[in-house]
Amino acid sequence: MTAAIAHTIHKAGHSRRRLRRALIPYLFLAPFFLTFLAFWLGPIIASFVYSFTDWRGVLQARFIGLANYERIYEDPRFWLALRNTAFYGLVYVTLLNTLALALALAIDSTWLRFRNGIKIGFFLPVTISLVVAAVMFEMIFANGVGLLNITLKALGLPQPDWLGDPKVAIWSIIILRIWRALGYYAVIYFAGLQAIPSDVKEAARLDGCRPWQVTWHMTLPLLKPVILFCIIMSTIWALELFDEAWVLTKGGPADSTLTIVIYLYQAGFQYIELGYAAAVSYVLTFLIVIAAIAQKLLIGREQQ
Amino acid sequence: MMELAKNNTRHSKRRDSFALPIGSYLGTLLVLGVLAIAMTPVLWAILSAFKTRSDIFAGDVWPRTWSIENFRDLLAKTLYLRWMFNSLFVAIISTVLGVFFCSLGGYAFAKFEFPGKTVLFWIVIASVSIPAFTTVIPLFGWLARLGLLDTYLVLILPFAANAFGIFLMRQYCIGVPNELLDAGRIDGCGEFRLYWAVVLPLLRPALGTVGILIFIASWNSYIWPLVMMRTDDMLTLPVGVASLKGDQLPEYGMLMAASVLSSLPIILAFLIMQRQFIAGLTQGAVK
Repeated sequence: MTAAIAHTIHKAGHSRRRLRRALIPYLFLAPFFLTFLAFWLGPIIASFVYSFTDWRGVLQARFIGLANYERIYEDPRFWLALRNTAFYGLVYVTLLNTLALALALAIDSTWLRFRNGIKIGFFLPVTISLVVAAVMFEMIFANGVGLLNITLKALGLPQPDWLGDPKVAIWSIIILRIWRALGYYAVIYFAGLQAIPSDVKEAARLDGCRPWQVTWHMTLPLLKPVILFCIIMSTIWALELFDEAWVLTKGGPADSTLTIVIYLYQAGFQYIELGYAAAVSYVLTFLIVIAAIAQKLLIGREQQ
Repeated sequence: MMELAKNNTRHSKRRDSFALPIGSYLGTLLVLGVLAIAMTPVLWAILSAFKTRSDIFAGDVWPRTWSIENFRDLLAKTLYLRWMFNSLFVAIISTVLGVFFCSLGGYAFAKFEFPGKTVLFWIVIASVSIPAFTTVIPLFGWLARLGLLDTYLVLILPFAANAFGIFLMRQYCIGVPNELLDAGRIDGCGEFRLYWAVVLPLLRPALGTVGILIFIASWNSYIWPLVMMRTDDMLTLPVGVASLKGDQLPEYGMLMAASVLSSLPIILAFLIMQRQFIAGLTQGAVK
């Protein structure tokens, strides 16, 4: 009898301990997940729901079906923002990845001196915040007092108004963005190059391949996953361009640097049309996913 | 024979080192030239920060008189120090909280089996591909209604739940040997003590990586504080410095002083801890 009671008590204690043990992973995840739910997951889902309403923050949101999406489709300013973003993204992604890969190949090569110092030097701009970098570039692009035009004047060349000319302004932002990101991507490409076993390259070299042949036929194909990663990442950032364009030009002059996120920011936080801005954010999310899948298919298929 | 072989290698080595230098120096020179161009904007900003207004408009390279007027104006006429404090304060608290949240959660993901584990993990991973400003819109509406705009809390919490951070922590935690954990349990060590006293010390390099990732994400963030902070007192450094631009002709000297002062602490930290910085920034894929 006492033994039986003792056994039950023991079992109860055991199962309580088991329950506690089962709860432990949830308790450990709770601080992260509660915050994540409140500030990321919840708003991401809510944004989708709000995109079908006329929510303006104050009054109760009304369900209006696809009206926001129709309005986006019909707004020529949205198409302009999309065209600007696409143009900017195409130039930025191509130039940035080409330059970063070339730089990484140089850093990886046997002939380069001061390797570590050079790597650190190129990475330095990455540590400067985008907005601060944009402010710094005021003194590069400014008409009259900017370094670019001082240099061009000294050389007797024409001096465009880098931030004031609608045809030129987007190039100024591309220059700033590439300057800021080059070291970052070079370091990622460099890490990819380091992962390629050097005896592969050595063997090819001993077989009489010239250095550029080794690079073109051996190194680059082996580097393809890294290239794909960098292209997708830089495309996502290109599509999300906001900080520099907002600081330098506020989307102007004449909407020539208007990007999708600036369009979204103006709709949401200047006109406080939160439902409409939510719809824009989901159009952009959709574009980002499509771009990533397309690139993966294009580059991935070629790989086979 | 031996002598011949030795001679031979020496010969080939000399030929190699003869072939190497010229190309090597030219190539290095080219890369250094590009690096010099890349460094120019920073150097130009430093020089301009020490120029008087008339020097700036004269367009000279070197300041005629090295003046600290711009820095004095910046500190006296703007809320710069307050913004610097805000930025540092929220970045440090976010980092401490975030490293704690991510390591605790990453440990649970790596070393425990529980229902819903896979689903929760994939939700976190999938959220990375959704642009961050999607969250800004509803949060702005909600926080405005709750009267929580303009609070430090809003600047801290979103950065403490970093999806990349928990992912990286999970990767590192997988490497913690199970035998060590079992030994701790047999010795009667409680589960939290086990995390705190055994797992956390083993994660030290990962804590640095994730810490830098979170710190930089908070320090550099722009659209979030831009939307959420409404009074000048509560601005962070990027929002404050960008607001100095104004609508009229900018005070270039003061702007450059602000941008130089703002990047200096991070550049110094980077030069001291290059390895962790590069790891934190490239593994976390932050801007």
